[in-house]
Amino acid sequence: MIQLENVTKILGERRILDGVNLDVRRGETLFVVGPSGTGKSVTLKHMIRLMTPDEGRVVVDGEVVSEAAGKDLERIRDKFGVLFQGGALLEWLNVGENVALPLREKTKLTEDEIEAKVMEKLTMVGLEKDIEKFPSEISGGMRKRVGLARAIVMNPQIILYDEPTSGLDPVSSRMIDRLIDHLKNELGVTSVVVTHDLHSALSIGTRIAMLTGGKIVELATPGDFVKSQVEEVQQFLESQFITVRGEWEKKGL
Amino acid sequence: MLLLFEAILCMRLLFKRRNRIEVLRQMFVGGIKSLAVITVVASFTGMILALQTGIEMRRFGQEVYIGAAVMVSMLREMGPFMTGLILAASVGSSIAAQMGTMVVSEEIAALELMSINPVRFLVMPRLVAMAIMTPFLSFYSCIMGVVGGGIVGMTQLNVPWSAYIDNATRFAENKDLFVGMLKAFLFGIIIVIIACHQGFATTQGAVGVGNATRRTVILSFLTILIVGYMITRLFYV
Repeated sequence: MIQLENVTKILGERRILDGVNLDVRRGETLFVVGPSGTGKSVTLKHMIRLMTPDEGRVVVDGEVVSEAAGKDLERIRDKFGVLFQGGALLEWLNVGENVALPLREKTKLTEDEIEAKVMEKLTMVGLEKDIEKFPSEISGGMRKRVGLARAIVMNPQIILYDEPTSGLDPVSSRMIDRLIDHLKNELGVTSVVVTHDLHSALSIGTRIAMLTGGKIVELATPGDFVKSQVEEVQQFLESQFITVRGEWEKKGL
Repeated sequence: MLLLFEAILCMRLLFKRRNRIEVLRQMFVGGIKSLAVITVVASFTGMILALQTGIEMRRFGQEVYIGAAVMVSMLREMGPFMTGLILAASVGSSIAAQMGTMVVSEEIAALELMSINPVRFLVMPRLVAMAIMTPFLSFYSCIMGVVGGGIVGMTQLNVPWSAYIDNATRFAENKDLFVGMLKAFLFGIIIVIIACHQGFATTQGAVGVGNATRRTVILSFLTILIVGYMITRLFYV
């Protein structure tokens, strides 16, 4: 569904992405993991053309997003919902208004219809009682859930998650994981998740890509990922105290 | 200039109720909230103008003319300049900091992704609001300056209020008022465009937001002074 073909990105004098090839399949939850500063978020931004590759191209559903502009780009972007790292909520709008923003700006729905949709999505993320609160009045985890509600309010085909569990306590992290898994199972959305959190990746990922030094050094299912012989993967697993003896068992959330 | 052009193109969307409400909100945030500081600064400017010119004129027994001096100075130059500088320092810096923070926290990226044009959504309402409010505030500052000058005239220079006002209105021309309003209108546009441009160009997190704010104030001050001079030259030379 999304193809990164030989994507290279140079920022300043650093080669952030160095000929990345990645194919995201329809309906899967692909995790992109790796150390900080290896270009995980940059990879994500290329998929929605918040960044343009210096070399290579990005294709979404057969359309070259890295060369699209104007209405074409708008149409491609309409397929996406994005959960940004900090939620990216507009501070002067309350929770309900933030979630309603794309509906008010891009559709001709009546206020009653918008209200119903907003309530449906907020209920999905467990924040229906916080509709009147402002972003400054809610916690980091709640901000991410509001961001997620806004990302899914237009029923996108693809959802991109940028560090959805960073800075959250384990309970909130697992709640976000459950939401990501729920969206995949119930709505059939394709998800790309950028994270450091291997526990999330191994629990709900369909496949995991390891990005190091601007290159994909491993791309495997969780079961194969934990058995990978790639040195960077083994170091990454050990750094999060994940060791495997025998077969990896994926437990339900 | 591109930002200004794009914002002007977006003004056709003022017909939408939501955009009009946002313009009104920005008029309140940028304009009405600046009334207090403008009242104080303009009153004292008028008082200082009256006192300085009055002291000199009294030597020749002409202190009654302070009304004309204060009125003409305020209408032509001091009103628009003071209003422009105050708004650049308060509203301009605030807009730059807000836009910069929105860039850093990926809110602008989120808007772009939702196909919501940040120029239409953020710049246009501020531009319209300030283009309306700055002339209004400039006129208000002129009134406050003239009142301040009158108080000094009455209390320090023994110039009766009626003589002061009569003198002030006799020498001021409609042209002074209109040129002053034109200056204020342009200053409002300059402040918003510089602030939004600097804010959108923010990089490097909190340091970048600070730099954008500082650059906005400096560039706005310089542009206001240069444009103000050019308009004065255009209409009075």
